[in-house]
Amino acid sequence: MKFSIYRFNPDVDKKPYMQDYDVVLEDSDQMLLDALMRIKDLDDSLSLRKSCREGVCGSDSMNINGKNGLACITKLSDLEEPVVLRPMPGLPVIRDLVVDMTQFFENYNSVKPYLVNNDAPPTTERLQSPADRAKLDGLYECILCGACTTSCPSFWWNPDKFVGPAGLMQAYRFMVDSRDQALDERLDNLEEPDRLYRCHNIMNCVEVCPKKLNPNAAIANIKDLKFEQAREHKNKAKKHIEIKAV
Amino acid sequence: MWIELLTKRYPGMRAWLSQRLTGLAMALYSVLAVGRFFYLAPSDYQAWVEFFQPLWWRVLTMLFWLALTLHAWLGIRDVFKDYVPNATLRSVLLKGLVILLWLYLAWAAYLLFA
Repeated sequence: MKFSIYRFNPDVDKKPYMQDYDVVLEDSDQMLLDALMRIKDLDDSLSLRKSCREGVCGSDSMNINGKNGLACITKLSDLEEPVVLRPMPGLPVIRDLVVDMTQFFENYNSVKPYLVNNDAPPTTERLQSPADRAKLDGLYECILCGACTTSCPSFWWNPDKFVGPAGLMQAYRFMVDSRDQALDERLDNLEEPDRLYRCHNIMNCVEVCPKKLNPNAAIANIKDLKFEQAREHKNKAKKHIEIKAV
Repeated sequence: MWIELLTKRYPGMRAWLSQRLTGLAMALYSVLAVGRFFYLAPSDYQAWVEFFQPLWWRVLTMLFWLALTLHAWLGIRDVFKDYVPNATLRSVLLKGLVILLWLYLAWAAYLLFA
């Protein structure tokens, strides 16, 4: 099977180049990651990240024939030859298919992806009703592979400002968590014009997500919560005025 | 609530919502304009003058132009933010855009009301 792979070693290469490989695969080689391991047997200078090899860790995300995805769950039989592999776009390349994800995780951390609850911790866990727990479905499954965020032009042009689909989906995941107490702060945290509103709904994130999640819907839901927040503020202001009048 | 979202408390939402509200206003005007065009079917210069004769229509057209100006400002500002990384050049382009949009607005007002 034929491959064309992006190569760049900053220690020796002045600029990146594409290297062709023609590898003989075994019957057991079903996924793209299997083929990449065969290539690594031939040329151990090729660098890539991998870990769980079953679509859970999100390490081996890369650009496969022009579309971001995970090598370990991409079937070889679905790929056109030559298979063109590049690092995920929009992030600095460390070497070959390995990108520097610092910016991605900074954006993720900026939405405080953890529960904020100032009540004293209970003796057991903080409980949720099944209905409240169901609100997290389609959100908590994100493995932070970065395929969505690095497919997003708004992130390419403003990586330090626009949080990106993965980070925004996690922001929403904690906004709808019944155990969280920081909804207002979370919404205010995204009010800066470029953090949330640079999303123009082009849906690249939905198209590429290897877990079939929908960050675009989460972003739309955050905007709905903004409306709710404004309504609440108005009601609070009204009450405040009424109390003052009394 | 809508007004609340257009205040300085919500700078992100203000721009986002303004762009959609102005888009909606332009879409409504366009439907009216097309309907009016087919109803009156202006075919010469005099007919076009009469097309724009009623004051209510000129006011609506001016409101359309105001919406277009704001919509264009928000949209093109984003395009410049994305594709012009050089801060000085971006600043020059944004200032040029403001001048151009004000000129178009003044020109529209002149044509409609002068």
